[in-house]
Amino acid sequence: MNNQDRQDSVQKIRKRIEIHVGIAIAALVVAMGVGAAGFVYWGAYNVSALQQHTEPVFTILNLALDRSIRQRAEEVEPPPLTPEMAEQGRLIYQNKCVQCHGAPGVGRDDVGKGMTPVPPNLAHTAKTKNADEIFWPIKHGIKMTGMPSWQFTFTDEQIWNLTAFIMRLPELSPAEYQELVANDSVEESTDRNDVSASAPARDTALPDPERGKMAMYGYACIACHRIPGTVGPHSDVGPPLKGIGERRYIAGVLANNPENMVRWLRHPTEVDPLTAMPDLDVTEQDARDMAAYLETLR
Amino acid sequence: MTARTVCLLLLAPLLATGCSSDEAEPPPGDTQKGRAAIREYGCGSCHVIPGISGADGHTGPSLERIAKRVYLAGVLPNTPDDMARWIREPETVDPRTAMPNMGVSESDARDITAYLYTLK
Ligand code: HEC
Ligand code: HEC
Ligand code: HEC
Repeated sequence: MNNQDRQDSVQKIRKRIEIHVGIAIAALVVAMGVGAAGFVYWGAYNVSALQQHTEPVFTILNLALDRSIRQRAEEVEPPPLTPEMAEQGRLIYQNKCVQCHGAPGVGRDDVGKGMTPVPPNLAHTAKTKNADEIFWPIKHGIKMTGMPSWQFTFTDEQIWNLTAFIMRLPELSPAEYQELVANDSVEESTDRNDVSASAPARDTALPDPERGKMAMYGYACIACHRIPGTVGPHSDVGPPLKGIGERRYIAGVLANNPENMVRWLRHPTEVDPLTAMPDLDVTEQDARDMAAYLETLR
Repeated sequence: MTARTVCLLLLAPLLATGCSSDEAEPPPGDTQKGRAAIREYGCGSCHVIPGISGADGHTGPSLERIAKRVYLAGVLPNTPDDMARWIREPETVDPRTAMPNMGVSESDARDITAYLYTLK
């Protein structure tokens, strides 16, 4: 009897403790939620590019970045990288990468200075990474860092050329690099600027709407349009593209059919010289893929 | 005074001030008359226009949030004056446009503009 009583009271106390712990945990969760909401709402986080993360946060972010790239790069098969490829890659690099990453003996331009995260010196990268881990970020870009994706600018072949050049960087002295650059300003000054102007059209394949949707990001269409199925800044510079698939006219001047859409996407200022939509050097294949995606928007 | 009340009290200012933004002067014109004029001219046969029943045309772009659009018809900076001009004589803005001149009067164009500027 006495024993039974004791057990009962022990159980009661236990239950009360459990309830209290439960309430405490719930209160903590709510407080954290409110705290997080307040942190966001009152703008406590300093987004200045000159306010670096704390060392532990920086280390964790970098680890996550490295792991993410390594994981995805495993599926990439590098071809043999030759000196000829590196030479081709250098021409592209000088045009499109030096401003952020610099080159042996050459400082980065203003864009590459004030950024956080800072664009790494790629000679250092080449010493610590494999070719596939260099290829992947060039092709896909790195979200939230300022590193663009180049797959809508360059073919895979050109990206391997860039990779070949970057792998060579650690053995290239500033003097040697200067020599290479000095040599081509004589012979190649004419076509230097075309290096990326027309990424050779990919094999004309059937239009692929999914790829077209990715191209909406790759060509920064989302900086001006609201496009269903994409996430972006909700910009109203151009018309929203909802329902564009069943629109009678494109930009109010062209009958809406796949050929005309490709024409508009590639050369809007030729179609309508007054238009605020700029020519974006869209390749034929990319335009077809995008047109295929836009056609699905009803 | 439960945790939930505390939470709601703290969140109230968040919700209350969540969507404030500086508003520009609304353009002159009568939005109600504008709405009627839009029906009369049949703009809805070519445009989706929020707040106008039956306005579901797909010849021209949707006029949803047209007040927020940076350019009109892709060529004119979006101001009330330019909007009224576009509605009255689109062909003078862009000779190639498929939007017809519908002989809209000056005052109707003002009223229509006032209504379209409520679409944000
Ligand atoms: C607008 C500036 C900018 C331009 C232009 C740019 N990059 Fe980057 N790049 C970055 C930034 C920022 C990072 C990521 C920094 C980090 O690791 O957090 C990065 C990262 C990289 C990496 C991964 C480095 C590593 O250590 O993992 C490679 C490889 C790379 N860039 C190559 C290129 C090539 C090749 C080009 C030219 C085709 C180029 N980048 C153009 C800013 C730029
Ligand atoms: C700098 C801003 C800007 C960028 C970037 C841009 N556009 Fe446009 N776009 C516009 C404007 C402005 C118009 C309206 C043009 C007109 O009517 O003359 C337009 C019109 C269009 C139209 C016709 C819309 C309609 O209602 O008839 C389509 C389709 C389109 N853009 C697709 C794209 C795609 C795809 C991309 C990316 C390759 C892109 N745009 C990039 C500004 C932009
Ligand atoms: C016959 C079809 C048609 C009718 C009727 C019509 N529109 Fe249009 N509208 C168009 C087309 C096509 C465009 C695209 C013009 C361009 O981009 O050149 C347009 C463009 C516009 C634009 C600019 C939209 C943008 O995205 O920039 C506005 C505003 C507009 N119309 C208002 C009106 C109003 C108001 C009426 C009625 C008075 C009207 N429209 C009647 C076909 C029409």
